[in-house]
Amino acid sequence: MDRRTFTTLALASVATLALAPAAQAQEFGSAELIAAAKSEGKLVYYTANFAEIEQQVIKAFNKRFPEIKVEMVRAPGGQLITRVKTEAAAGKLIADVVDHSDRALMQPLEDLFQDYAPPNAADYDPHALISPKYWPRATIAWSIAYNTELVKDPPKSWMDLTKPQYDKLIGQVFAQSGGTTWTRIMFERQVLGEDYWAKQAATHPVLYPSGAPTADALVRGEIAIAPLLYNVIYQKKKDGAPIEIFFPPEGAPVNPYATGIPKTAAHPNAAKLFLNWCLSKEGQTFMIKELGNLTSLKTPPAYPEGFDPKVVKLWYPKFDEYVKLHAAWVADWDKTFGYRQ
Amino acid sequence: MHGQADRRSEAMRSASEGTRRRAFTGLWVAALLAILTFLVIYPVFMLLLGALTDTNPVVDGIRLSLSHLSIANFLAVLANPNVAEALLNTLIACGGGTVIAVAIGLLFSWIVVRTNTPFKGFIAAASILPLFAPPLVAGVAWAILGSPKTGLINTMFKWMGSDLRVDLYSMWGLVFVFGIYYAPYVYMFTSSALRNMDPSLEEAAEISGASPVATLFTVTFPLIMPAIVSGMLLSFIVMLGIYGIPAVLGAPTNLNVLTTYIFKLTNWSPPLYNTAAAVAIILMVVTGLLVYLQQKLLSGRSYTTVAGKAFRPRSLDLGPWRWLTFAIGIVYLLIVVVLPSLALIVAAFRKFMFIRDVASLFDMRQYSLTHFESIFDNPLTMRSIYNAVEVGVITAVVGGALAFAIGYTIHRTRVSGRGAIDLISTLPVAIPGLVVGVAYLWAWIGVPGGLYGTIWILALAFIARFMPDTVKALSTSFLQIHRELEEAAWVCGKGMLGTIRTIVLPLARPGVLASMTLLFVLAIRELGSSLFLYTSNTMVMSVLLLDYYEGGNIGKTAAFSLVQTVLLGVLIGGANWLSRGSAQGNVARTG
Repeated sequence: MDRRTFTTLALASVATLALAPAAQAQEFGSAELIAAAKSEGKLVYYTANFAEIEQQVIKAFNKRFPEIKVEMVRAPGGQLITRVKTEAAAGKLIADVVDHSDRALMQPLEDLFQDYAPPNAADYDPHALISPKYWPRATIAWSIAYNTELVKDPPKSWMDLTKPQYDKLIGQVFAQSGGTTWTRIMFERQVLGEDYWAKQAATHPVLYPSGAPTADALVRGEIAIAPLLYNVIYQKKKDGAPIEIFFPPEGAPVNPYATGIPKTAAHPNAAKLFLNWCLSKEGQTFMIKELGNLTSLKTPPAYPEGFDPKVVKLWYPKFDEYVKLHAAWVADWDKTFGYRQ
Repeated sequence: MHGQADRRSEAMRSASEGTRRRAFTGLWVAALLAILTFLVIYPVFMLLLGALTDTNPVVDGIRLSLSHLSIANFLAVLANPNVAEALLNTLIACGGGTVIAVAIGLLFSWIVVRTNTPFKGFIAAASILPLFAPPLVAGVAWAILGSPKTGLINTMFKWMGSDLRVDLYSMWGLVFVFGIYYAPYVYMFTSSALRNMDPSLEEAAEISGASPVATLFTVTFPLIMPAIVSGMLLSFIVMLGIYGIPAVLGAPTNLNVLTTYIFKLTNWSPPLYNTAAAVAIILMVVTGLLVYLQQKLLSGRSYTTVAGKAFRPRSLDLGPWRWLTFAIGIVYLLIVVVLPSLALIVAAFRKFMFIRDVASLFDMRQYSLTHFESIFDNPLTMRSIYNAVEVGVITAVVGGALAFAIGYTIHRTRVSGRGAIDLISTLPVAIPGLVVGVAYLWAWIGVPGGLYGTIWILALAFIARFMPDTVKALSTSFLQIHRELEEAAWVCGKGMLGTIRTIVLPLARPGVLASMTLLFVLAIRELGSSLFLYTSNTMVMSVLLLDYYEGGNIGKTAAFSLVQTVLLGVLIGGANWLSRGSAQGNVARTG
């Protein structure tokens, strides 16, 4: 390499490095939006996702925009909806961003939200969208996890979970717990067969109220195998717990979130910037790599560890059925699994 | 002539004083009733409205809610066999738990207060530690110890080659954990009563030839019956409302009690608050019956034992038997304090809770400070600690003062309206925290001046919610102070407020301090009613703790609850140390 080429290359790389942040910042919104967001200085973020996971998202966002403080309120889905409805009715909705895992609960509240679309709106898969006001900030998928200390002959598919050899070893989240679990049981009945529930119930699974205690029970060895949201158990594996996770070949049920900005947001620019970042390639890549999410971008920028796009089929529920079938099917599930209402 | 004029003016003066006093008491009762209406009646009204409709009173408006009144929720709930089963489970678990709690608590307060057992001060101070741990944490700790599959106790048994196995994921487990967890509660009530009791009555029994045991059962315990019944009833009622312990221990075997059932209803998607409110009303009815029963039992008897004569609390010389009571104390501490604390410490410092065998339990490579580092890396942690302490102090001071005013009005005056005050202030005990949280939200979100979003809405909720506990705790001290002491002050020309300040307050001081401390602890631990009232600025420790638990991280949950326990211990120890010497109102001893 002669000196001139070297100098040119060096200059070019310096220029790229210097310009990069500015160019990338554009990706998250116009200079005016960023300036307005910085002068607002904060936003209040309501989420149904786990606090610990969202803490990491906020940290990553603050690496890029340290001037904007994100104050989080975390509550389980049902409680969060009640809070949003009640606050809104009293004219005291504090949230600048509402992030919810159950799209069916968010849809009736559409009127509370303002029009919003991220700069890369066209890159999103229309399957994941139920309203032009809501965006799939997070997209999470089901996997199967097992404790490697306890399971020497691990299952390899959803159908394996019906084998008698796993009797009393499996843990499950019950159907009524929320949107993500509803997606899974809908997938089980529509894809794995009408009798899948009955076969699975015959292995006497232990029922848990949500994914987190299930994951904890799996690590402790209270149960040995469990269908779990990948992002709930991934963190534990990453930290070194005796856990193995796989995406079963029959399909991975996917639950996109519905996230929007209320009309009454006191910090609308900061809210937009935060969502723009979350929905950007950078934000989605962070959530995939660090948190074990998937994405609803048409061309995923990355895949979580152990996810082979050639093998695993993503399964999105049809939204009209997602709303329509819920009550009756959940009641059937409760009966099949002997879960008492 | 002169004398007559004097008498007449005196008569006129006393008449106008009487009018003034009547006006004052009228205002006083009206003010208390107004406060209670805001704190209790209005939220309960919202709850009833919720139970009787299918609407959200804030979203749909009260008028629409009123036009939707029906008893459909009640009928659905009453016809549901699972509700009946949950109710039955609740009664068995709480009844069994109360029996154990009373037996242990009473025995223990007798050991600490009335015997010369060695190191009893230390045992007493350590024995209240479980009260600092939220029920959820107690549940987690006992699950770590007593799970049939992975419990440390079973791991130990296996290691020792024993075939013994324990299974706390059962009704027996629930009864056992309820009982030992609430024994300190009974102990708190009975020990202060024992301490305030005049020992001459026991001496009289002994002089008449009664054996120490006979004296205990025929004189001592009957005399402190109000405290025993209060403690028994309150622990039963508190158990009725506890979610954390049955949630952790009952879930794996699908064992439901009313609270876990209600939590399920509110946590389902979509949530069924109206049904939950209807189930909550059932709980309220059960509790209401119990409160009625207690008042029936205690009415028409006198329990005043603190009279105008000086006495010194006497301790019984047990001779060599004192080592037996010492051993009992140590076993009690071991089970109630040491074992659960060890379980939490293991969970807090261990990277993962998978424990294959005893060797793995002692494998030091498995331990680290990761969980503590990560909780303090979270900016919410410090914020929540600060907020919790602030709410705790406000609740303790304002709630303590209010409870004193209510307790005094109920027990030491004959003003009309005190019956209503008594009833209303007892009502909140019956409402489970989770549901009342929604009722407070419905009731107070619209209060002008922006109560919502501040620390005060949390403090007010805690004051209202724990008013029965505080008033009852104070009542026992009021019941014990003989009227002659107040009458003496009146004779000496003191007014009512002067009497309260110089006589009642100093005498009831141990009780007042103990109830304020209790209130502080309860406020810091309280979870259910905070869930709907906190906002991003007013996050408190208990909510953050639930976040850690719901996030599925038992290590961080344990680490954070250790932080909370140590913090409470330091704060309460500090408060004790500050108030030491001036009175006997030492919380470590009364409580």
